[in-house]
Amino acid sequence: MTANTDSETRLITRVSTQKPVSPATRRWSRIRTAGIVLATQVTLLTVLLGFWEHMTANNKQAAFMFGSPSAMAGFLGRMAGDGSLWRDSYVTGLETLLGFLVGNFVGTLFGLSLWYSRFVSRVVEPFVIALGSIPIIALAPIIIIWFGTGLISKVAMSTLSVVIVALVTSYKGAAGVDPDQVNLMRTLGASKFQIFCKLVVPASLADIFAGLKLTVGFALIGAIVGEFMSSSEGLGHAIFKAGSLYIIPKVFAALVATIALALLLTFVVGRIERLLMPWRRIH
Amino acid sequence: MNWGSERLECYCAGPISEATAPAASLIVQHLAKSYEVGGRIVPVIADLSLTLDNSQIVSIVGPSGCGKTTLLNTLCGLLKPDSGRISWYGREIIGQPQNVGYMLQKDLLLPWRTALGNVMLGLEIRGVSAREAKDRSRAMLDQLGLHGFADHYPSTLSGGMRQRVALARTLVNEPAVLLLDEPFASLDFQNKLLIESDTAKLVRKGGRSLLLITHDIEEAVSLADQVIVLSKRPSQVKAVYNIALGIERTDMMAARDSRDFSKYVRQIWADLDVVLQ
Repeated sequence: MTANTDSETRLITRVSTQKPVSPATRRWSRIRTAGIVLATQVTLLTVLLGFWEHMTANNKQAAFMFGSPSAMAGFLGRMAGDGSLWRDSYVTGLETLLGFLVGNFVGTLFGLSLWYSRFVSRVVEPFVIALGSIPIIALAPIIIIWFGTGLISKVAMSTLSVVIVALVTSYKGAAGVDPDQVNLMRTLGASKFQIFCKLVVPASLADIFAGLKLTVGFALIGAIVGEFMSSSEGLGHAIFKAGSLYIIPKVFAALVATIALALLLTFVVGRIERLLMPWRRIH
Repeated sequence: MNWGSERLECYCAGPISEATAPAASLIVQHLAKSYEVGGRIVPVIADLSLTLDNSQIVSIVGPSGCGKTTLLNTLCGLLKPDSGRISWYGREIIGQPQNVGYMLQKDLLLPWRTALGNVMLGLEIRGVSAREAKDRSRAMLDQLGLHGFADHYPSTLSGGMRQRVALARTLVNEPAVLLLDEPFASLDFQNKLLIESDTAKLVRKGGRSLLLITHDIEEAVSLADQVIVLSKRPSQVKAVYNIALGIERTDMMAARDSRDFSKYVRQIWADLDVVLQ
């Protein structure tokens, strides 16, 4: 009996000592978790770069074949110094952004409006699948013939890489709207256009933004591939040129700039998403 | 089955007096509806007639899968009946009837709108000015005990509160008739009693009619003036009970305590002929 009471008291003490978690504590624990994640990421990157540097430091052949982080940093500094880094990033960034915007706008517009007619969407479906299966690089020669070797052809490449994905994701979003919710709108007396504006578009936002995040990368691929085919500036041009001249560290330097560009665009899209969908922030 | 003559003992509450009463809110005559499933015709509603008078609450109970939801969707004009006549306020209507509120077990709140925004939806669709819509919706939320939750998103509200918001969204349009399809089925017992009482109060005070579809016999008896029992699919009316509990009909607990409550529940239970499947 004594043992029993003892364990009971212990249980009660344990429960009563558990204070309610204050918001400040909870916030602190969240910051700490984020800090640990970041520290692990930095450590991983440092180990990787350190290994790479170590393996190429005393080995000329390896340094030629694989470059080295220090040489890459040197090229980055030089490219930043002579302004070519900013110029190339700007050109590729502009091509990507334009392709991203045009492709997503057109794709989303078509994807959402397919909701309007079950008939049209069924007619169009095989064509969309066919177009979506074309590797964009196969179109590059035609694009250059049609749009020349300047900015427009890269924007066209970028747009084409984006448009089908945007169409499919937004249509998926629109088609996935709960039919009971559509019925509810109808019983409230909503017209088809009102149902579209007040229900279908906002309900599809989550899918549209998933598409936007996905297509940042596709837009960039389109722009870089376009630059590979024929160009006089841009990060793709820098990569292609350095690669042909066997300047491996410079290839990596331009690659780092490309990655930075992709991260920046993804970050901006994420910010806009948070701004446009405040109800998803609270959980 | 025609039960029009049995309506004599119907308990009627509400401001509309018998002398000036216009045509009944809803009259359904010999409604039939079937679906085609894999090339076969499956009859869901065989032959169904009913009348919902002004300021009357009628409950429909039936075994699960007896086509209750099909019935409601047909009444709302969302589905077309194979045969039979549906007349709202004495007239047959093509498409959606006016002045009818519709509510399901799923609250169907739009997650991107706040509680207030969701309640405003119907008024917004009908082109009521934003200011008026906001005022009326706020007042309705207050009446349903959601004061202070107007700016909350549905994801931050409990199940009972969400269903209250859905009820507010239905009532704010001031419908003459409410069609509710198991609206409280997903709520716990306490919440259910509270929201049922509030619904009864608002419906009876406003002189509205209510057609409630439910599988909860106690809910049906405690809320309604009349309970219609449907048979198994293809469904038809099996029995009609005019519920006379002899008390104020807005207190769900008092209804359960009244003398005849359990008698009605037992009879309806027997009618439903529930067997384990």
